[in-house]
Amino acid sequence: MKRLVRRALIIFAVLGPGFITASAGNDVGGIILYSQAGAQFGYATLWTLLPLTLSLIIVQEMAGRMGAVTGKGLAGLIRENFGVRWTFFAMSALFFINVAITATEFAGIAAAGEIFHLSRYIIVPFSCIIVFLFVLRLNNKIVERVFVILSLVYLSYIVSGCLAGPDWHAVAHGTFVPTLSSNVPTISNLVFLATVVGLIGTTISPYMQFFLQSAVVEKGSRIRDLLAVRADIVVGSILAIVLAGFMIIANAATIFLANQHLDAKHQIVVTQAFDVARALAPLAGNYAAYLFGFGVLNAGLFTATVLPLATAYIVCEAFGFEAAVDRRFREAPVFYSLFGGALVIGAALVLIPGLDYLKLIFYAQVLQGVVLPLELVMMLVIINRRRVMGAFTNTRAVNAIAWITTVVVGILAIAYVVMQITGIGS
Amino acid sequence: MAFRDGFLTEMIGRPAIVEIDGRRTRVGTIADFVVQHPEDTFPRIDAVVLKMRGGDKLAPIGDVLEIQSADRSMVLACIPHVACPHEDEALYLVEDLLDKQIVDVDGRKVVRINDLELARTAGALRVVAADIGAGGLLRRLSSGGIFAGLLAKVPRTLIAWDNVAPLHDLSPREIKLSVSDNRLARLHPSDLAEIISDLSAQDAARVVGSLDDETAADAFEHLDAEMQKSIIEDIGAERAADIIEEMDSDDAADLLGELPEAQQLELLAKMDAETADDLRELSQYAEDTAGGLMTTDYVWIYPHRTVEATIAKIREIAPETEFIYYLYVTDRSEKLLGVLSLRTLLLSSPEISIDNVMDTDIVSVGPEAKAEEVASTIARYDLLSCPVLDHEGKMLGIVTVDDAIDAIIPERLKKQLPRFTRHHKRHLETAS
Repeated sequence: MKRLVRRALIIFAVLGPGFITASAGNDVGGIILYSQAGAQFGYATLWTLLPLTLSLIIVQEMAGRMGAVTGKGLAGLIRENFGVRWTFFAMSALFFINVAITATEFAGIAAAGEIFHLSRYIIVPFSCIIVFLFVLRLNNKIVERVFVILSLVYLSYIVSGCLAGPDWHAVAHGTFVPTLSSNVPTISNLVFLATVVGLIGTTISPYMQFFLQSAVVEKGSRIRDLLAVRADIVVGSILAIVLAGFMIIANAATIFLANQHLDAKHQIVVTQAFDVARALAPLAGNYAAYLFGFGVLNAGLFTATVLPLATAYIVCEAFGFEAAVDRRFREAPVFYSLFGGALVIGAALVLIPGLDYLKLIFYAQVLQGVVLPLELVMMLVIINRRRVMGAFTNTRAVNAIAWITTVVVGILAIAYVVMQITGIGS
Repeated sequence: MAFRDGFLTEMIGRPAIVEIDGRRTRVGTIADFVVQHPEDTFPRIDAVVLKMRGGDKLAPIGDVLEIQSADRSMVLACIPHVACPHEDEALYLVEDLLDKQIVDVDGRKVVRINDLELARTAGALRVVAADIGAGGLLRRLSSGGIFAGLLAKVPRTLIAWDNVAPLHDLSPREIKLSVSDNRLARLHPSDLAEIISDLSAQDAARVVGSLDDETAADAFEHLDAEMQKSIIEDIGAERAADIIEEMDSDDAADLLGELPEAQQLELLAKMDAETADDLRELSQYAEDTAGGLMTTDYVWIYPHRTVEATIAKIREIAPETEFIYYLYVTDRSEKLLGVLSLRTLLLSSPEISIDNVMDTDIVSVGPEAKAEEVASTIARYDLLSCPVLDHEGKMLGIVTVDDAIDAIIPERLKKQLPRFTRHHKRHLETAS
């Protein structure tokens, strides 16, 4: 037992920016996406998580390595290698995307509030203040630790996934046997495909690479720490994806199973966080619904903290302003203004009555589909510059895998956008 | 060369033209600039990197005939064929400096270098300032002047390059500010003045503000009246008074004369009483007379002191007095009794008294004497300075030979003169 605890602690010690970033990918939007996939198709989409893990690790490793080798953030490197215009375009797009995603997080927080019968006009401003104080009052090291602990709250998905009593054979089959056709007779192959594309194409968000690299630099990790950086990224990515898998499993074992016994008219359809909770309550009891609500609240709070922080880091780095959570406001005014601005705008978007923030989020997703491939290509160009990376440029093999990943993720990201715009598969 | 100053990014990508026997052919575009000695206060640009069909080539700055100020295109005397030095062997402005981070003395990030200002100053094309403002960003964002209207409204935020710590690394990771490290002071005052006049008024004030009073005063003496006035506006009366106190009294008086009455009084009130009195007296005289040219900053000694005691006294006051080559012997009522050169003083035996070695055959002028008259007096008697006496024979001040020459040489010639001192200075610098 003692050894087990020690081993667990070693894993815990390794966890850092890589795990935080990968977990931030399991945000409210991610939870809804995984819940939908599980509720609609059971275990059939689980296999997408394998290539997803691989691409997440490859992309994150590049960002982490760039941070450790250059001591600079990704935004800074883009500025130095691509000049003002590209940087300006990327920063404007990222700011918009990040504020919109922050709004989805607050929407999730509002939905979680509904599960607990709390008005959004109370829980959203309250969360906003919590996030603000949390970042403002605590030093860097504590913030990172709290992030890791918050990410570990996702472990509750493993618990709920197991408690739901899944068919482990079906889980294994769904994980290791890829399929591209719908396993549900009432749902077309195209819808299934759209879900698969969504899972792979939206889990990696442009801000994640920026955030990870800045966090690695901020942590003071350098070339000598490269092993630790990589361990964190590999373990963190795998852990984050395993958690995502259990979200699918939990929904598959409950809602999907229930749907099998219902006729076409009474199917439970999951489109929002609240739907999942409402569906879970009769199937797995009120506590399951509350647990789910808590998970969403946690995810929302977590990513609503990470995103505005990432935004502030990115923009400051691009334009060269001081950016660090351990500086006072006076020392880094631009940084704190951007952080506060992104946070407050994101929260306000879901509070303004009559404002269709879903439309805004849709545009943000479209933009994200354009920016992600661009970002990955820029990363690849920079990481292969000897002048920047010295002896740590990509090897030929890594380059090949990275380019394939970039092309595939890029195409899927764009495909998702096209499907959203044209309405194919919905 | 028509080009006086401009921004780096305005030149990058502009055509490079070679002129042979009066025929001009386009050979490529400007890609970068190379600096060999980035540790200099205002690093000199040594070569231009041109993007040509056969790859990048290097053209020594000496081959550049002109940079046309209209479209920033560059005319070269011959086709460049030298390969570019390795990235570690020279500092490239675009590759190594543009878009890089600037940090302050405490390692805090300030901003990135949005652009670099280059100016023809002190005999070469140099990096004089870093643009760190939104204006620089907008300029680079706008193509074809979309933001031209907006651009005009955004104030320029420049950091004069002397505030940047000397770059010893040819591929620097970050660029540090060193406002505390006062390296501007090493430049010759007239060079310093020339650089200051190239900066925007706001920035010039900041540079002057960062200098110690004495260096600032030296530089001030070489600035034209308009620039002096604008800087005084910006740095405030308190600091201006301190600087003016340190200036040669003739230059200080001239400067005061240019200012409006109220400002004059304000500045005088902030100075110590003695300097203020001298300046008030000096400013009564017209600029082109002995009174206007003279300085009250001279060495006066008593006749009954020994040579030894006098040398000791000179040692004591010399650091504050510029002109010590002639010593003026006066009585208690400041009446001039004789003159003594430093040479005579040093060669006389120590115990002898001054009145035994001084020259009583005094050449002097009155305060109303015209500048030409003063200059010809100095020339005729081969003097280094000429005393100015009132009708009772009391000392008012002295006119030094350089001020006398300055007063009679046409403006156009003056501009060309300092070149000598510059070359001279550079040799000294390399030797030391």
